[in-house]
This record gives sequence, C-alpha cells and structure tokens, in this order.
Amino acid sequence: MELQDTYYNKSEYVETASGNKVSRQTVLCGSQNIVLHGKVIVQSDAIIRGDLANVKTGRFCIISKGSVIRPPFKKFSKGVAFFPLQMGDHVFVGENTVVNAAVVGSYVYIGKNVVIGRRCVLKDCCMIEDNSVLPAETVVPSFARYSGNPARLITTLPEAMPDLMTEFTKSYYQHFLPTTVN
Amino acid sequence: MAYLTQPDYIKYVCSCGQLKPITNLYFCRHCLKIRCGFCICHEVDSHYCANCLENMPSSEARLKKNRCSSCFDCPSCFHTLSTRATIAQPRQDPAAGDAKIENKQPKKMYYLSCFNCRWTSRDVGIPDQPVASGGWPERTNPFAARVNQLLDYYKAIAQQEKQEKLDRERKKFAIRGKYMNLTDKTGLTGAMARNIAGLASSESSSSAIANFVPSQASEEVEELPEDYHTQEVNLKQITSMRQRLRAAEWQPRSAARLQPAARALSVKRSQRCRACDHNLTKPEYNPGSVKFKIELLAYYHVPEVKIISYETVKPGETTALLLKLTNPTAHEMQVRLLQPQDVPEVEEREEPKSIEKSLEKSLNLEKDSSWSKVLQRRAALPTACAVRAPDAALTLAQRDDAAEYDDDPQHDTSDIIMWRKSNKLALRLQVATAAGAAPGGPARAALALQYSYRNTVPPAAAAPAPRDHTLYTTLVIHLGTVAE
Repeated sequence: MELQDTYYNKSEYVETASGNKVSRQTVLCGSQNIVLHGKVIVQSDAIIRGDLANVKTGRFCIISKGSVIRPPFKKFSKGVAFFPLQMGDHVFVGENTVVNAAVVGSYVYIGKNVVIGRRCVLKDCCMIEDNSVLPAETVVPSFARYSGNPARLITTLPEAMPDLMTEFTKSYYQHFLPTTVN
Repeated sequence: MAYLTQPDYIKYVCSCGQLKPITNLYFCRHCLKIRCGFCICHEVDSHYCANCLENMPSSEARLKKNRCSSCFDCPSCFHTLSTRATIAQPRQDPAAGDAKIENKQPKKMYYLSCFNCRWTSRDVGIPDQPVASGGWPERTNPFAARVNQLLDYYKAIAQQEKQEKLDRERKKFAIRGKYMNLTDKTGLTGAMARNIAGLASSESSSSAIANFVPSQASEEVEELPEDYHTQEVNLKQITSMRQRLRAAEWQPRSAARLQPAARALSVKRSQRCRACDHNLTKPEYNPGSVKFKIELLAYYHVPEVKIISYETVKPGETTALLLKLTNPTAHEMQVRLLQPQDVPEVEEREEPKSIEKSLEKSLNLEKDSSWSKVLQRRAALPTACAVRAPDAALTLAQRDDAAEYDDDPQHDTSDIIMWRKSNKLALRLQVATAAGAAPGGPARAALALQYSYRNTVPPAAAAPAPRDHTLYTTLVIHLGTVAE
C-alpha cells in the first residue's frame, strides 16, 4: 500500500535550507548541540534533549509526535556523565517513543510507544515493534526484529531492508506536505 | 518498509507455488525464476555473537556448543547480562598487620547484573571476578562423563555401520580392471588381513563399543522427603518451566540455583538456488556489516506492484483500483497485464537447453532433485474478483537515482495510465466481482504480469545465451473484505 499524504500547517513548521522540517511545538533543549543532517522531520510535541549531550541525526530521519530523544547517562563512582546520542540515516521513530540509546544505526525502524533503555546500541537495519520495551544496555543486531517487554528477537528482516527503509523515509518526506492556503 | 508495518496487500506467486510478499522472495538470474525461503538452500556462512559482535570460526563454535564465551544471558528473564563494577575494600587481616600499601588500595571487582529483572550473579552466590570479561566459573554436569561415553558409543556404532555398508557396496561393484594389484591377487585388504588375524579392525571404535556399559534400571527409588506433601510451596523460589528448559543440562528446581547461561551465537547465512546451485545472497563476513556480496532479490529484479487506493469491493459490481508499478532494474521494461490463466505453462516457458547443459545434467545423476516434485505445486488463485487487464504494453523507464530530484509527475493522456514518474507508473484499473462472492469474505484478485527482462549475467563463452527474456509473474491483490 502506498503511503498517504500527511498534511501539516505551514505556519507551524520551520523549514531549513537543508530541508529539515521542524515543528514550532517541539522542545529542543540546547539547540546548539543538536545536529540534524538534512531532510529530517521533527513533529509536534517531540523533545530533543541537546542540553544533556550532543544529539546527531543523519539524513531522512523522522521523529514523530510526542517522542523523546534523550542522550543516555552512565553512573560512575563520582557521579553521572551523559554521552552523546548518534543516529544514522533513514531512521523512523514512532509516536510517544522514548529513545535513550547511545547509538542508533542507519535504516532503523522504531515503532510507537516504545522505550529504548539507557545506552542501548541499535545496529544498522533493525526494527523495534510498537509497544516494546528495550532494557538498558541491550545490543540489537542487524536484521533483527525485536518485540515485547522485555523486547526479544522474534524474527529476522528481509535482506532488502536498507532499500525498504530508504524508500519509506523518502516517500514519507515526499508525502509530508503543507496544507494549501485557503 | 511499509511492507513490514502493514499487512501484505500484494503477494507474488513463487515458482514453488507459495504466496509471499516481494520482500521475502529471491530471483535467480541463472534460472530466471522467482524463489522463496522454502525452495532454496540455506547455508551457514559464519557464527557470531549478536551481543559483542565477535566472529567465531565454525570449528570453535562447535567446540563451545555454539555459545559465546564472554556474553551471558540472564537465567531468570533471558535478557543479556551486563557487567557491573564495584570497588571492593580489601579486608583488614589482623594477622598481617604490616600489609603492603598495594593491598590497601581498593580493588575493582566485577559481577553480572540484569538490567531488566535486576537479577545479579551475587544472588546465587557466584563470587565477584577481578577481570571484566571472562573468568566466570564453568560448571560441569555431574553426568558429563556418562553423556560423553554414550556419545562415543553411538558414534562408534554409526562408524561401524557405515563401514559395513561401504564394504558391501565395494563387494557388489568391484571394478575388475585390466590391471591387478597385489590385494586383488591375494584377496586381502588391510582390514581383511586384520580380521583374519583376529585383531580389532579399528582400535578406537571397537574399544568404545566393548567398554560400553548399558545403563541399568534400579528397583529402589529414593524416598520422597517427609515433608514433601506438607511443606508450603513458595512459588517465588521455584523456577518456571521456561527457566528450567533454558538450562537443559541442569534444570534447576529452585531459583537460588540459577546460573548465568552463555549466550547462543547467531549465524550469517547465504542462500543458494537449489536448481542451479548459484548463490542468491551472500553476506559480507563482518558481523556488523549490512552489505551483501551477492544479493539477488526479487525486489531488485521483478516489477514491484503497490496499491495506491481501491474502492470497496461489492458483489456483482465493478470497482476502481489504482496500482503503482515500479521498475527496479537498470533497463527499460515492457510490462503487459494478463489474466493468470493466460500465463503459459512452465514447461513452455523454459528455453531450449544447449546440448552442453543437458549433457551436464545427464551426467550429474546423483544430484537429488526430488525436492522440486515435493515443493512444486500450483498456488490456489482466487477467482471471485478479476482485474480487467487492458491489452496494452506499458513501458517502464529504467531506475534512475538522480530522478528523485525531478519535478512533478507527468500526467498521461491515456485512460489507464494516471501518471508517470521516472521508473514508476500509476494505473487506473477496474475490478469485476462475481455476483456470488460471499459478503464479508476476503476480496482477493489475481493478476499476471508479462515483463521483459534483460539478463546482465556475462554469458558463457561457449553458449551465448539470449540477453533479453520475456518473463511472467502472477500476484494476488488483497482488497479488504467484500461489502454486504
């Protein structure tokens, strides 16, 4: 099934020169520490905590409504330290999802209402299904599909996953259109 | 991607008769046929640990029972355990009052902890380790010696039977050549000579058989403890069935005896066409890599069909259906829509084989091809709905990665083509539903595609094969349920 057009209010979104579309209704803390690499969509009510540590995303990432991108911390004997959060290209983060991962690879699909625990590592080409909880410090290997609480490997993904994800995020970006002014 | 989050609206018919979405199908460039996971050979390429992403040679993996030596799973919730560090203060020993300064410095000690269920290796009394990874005590099963003995015994029996079978075969098909060798003349082989002399034919196997002691059933069974029926059961202390079976060697009854389990290895696999033995996929060796050396997927070779939208199907009526066709190949493609019954039979489609190939096939006698008979069957195609296929050849341009920067789609004047955009095409079709279609049942329609395919395999020097082919594929479109 082809993706349907999603419309947004043009006055609500800021479009940068590199094609990022960022809603004005988001909480971007420490915006000098946030790097969106182009054609990234950040939808309303999303929170990106750049004040804790650097947040970097690749191209064609989609951060859906109400999701939280938050760099992970690690407890040491003398207190806590925050680590930067890296995200690859063509990553989809579903609605109301909390991402505390250290690394999210490229071509990763994270469903809605998911919790990604502290310092998880999501390798390239993996998928976390809706309503899953990934405990802290989990490593999700490539071509794995995780689901449940705690999330476990349930099946593998097709070999064409990079192309499927590229097609998905690109067409999502193309179908993310401003409403025509009446 | 939409493929993974949505139900499979479009399924292709594999050459073995299975219905699969295009993402699960392969395309053999040598047979020019669609293959699926059921009709290909899966081979293990390499073993790796999915947690630490370390490769392990297959011989070592076998020795370690396909388990990683440094990663552990929680025995309680099966999540991966993490190593935690604590600082252990060295105990003040009154006897050694003048202890050295080094001993007084705090020492880092490590233990395993599960971040999901908070189980720790301290819960079951495993002492902390001075090194971060490895060094965890390995347990040996109390019956390990007996299991090994049994293994040796059955291996020896298998070996013996194999040898006997081989000997019988040899006797049957003894080649009487022109030349006689010494053993033929004397009628003696090494093994026979030893047999005649009354010696054991092979030391290791016979000793394993001879020394084997069969297990004996005993009359006396240990009595149950006195309070077995009266003791109150604390379910928190008793392991679940899954927890027990996870540690099959020990099967602990009480939760206090759970031990961290070494993490099972994952494999990278390559796929091979069973008909022509060519590789369909071959991943790169590195466990972290998502690239493939060979990747013959249907998604890259067969025209992809997607539903843009459809009207609800009603019995006895004709409804509209919008489809999108995509040409994934780097060559222009001619596509023609057909009814599934118009697709010529497989035998007709097969190209005349060169003499060389048929000779090769006739010589290759022992190759087992019985699988194809078992697997090959016709897919049951739905007949209640039919897509009215217009009799027109549609030209799909080749894939062009730069085309995504192009502007709007071109609107075609044709009444079936809605628009064209680089290698994509939107079609406006009609679906006719039989009056007898059961309301509430699934609405499915079958459609066949005839498409031109240019084979880019460099042809063998001896037999230049034609480069352009006309191929067929059948697909089933799911259009929701039939309306009342």
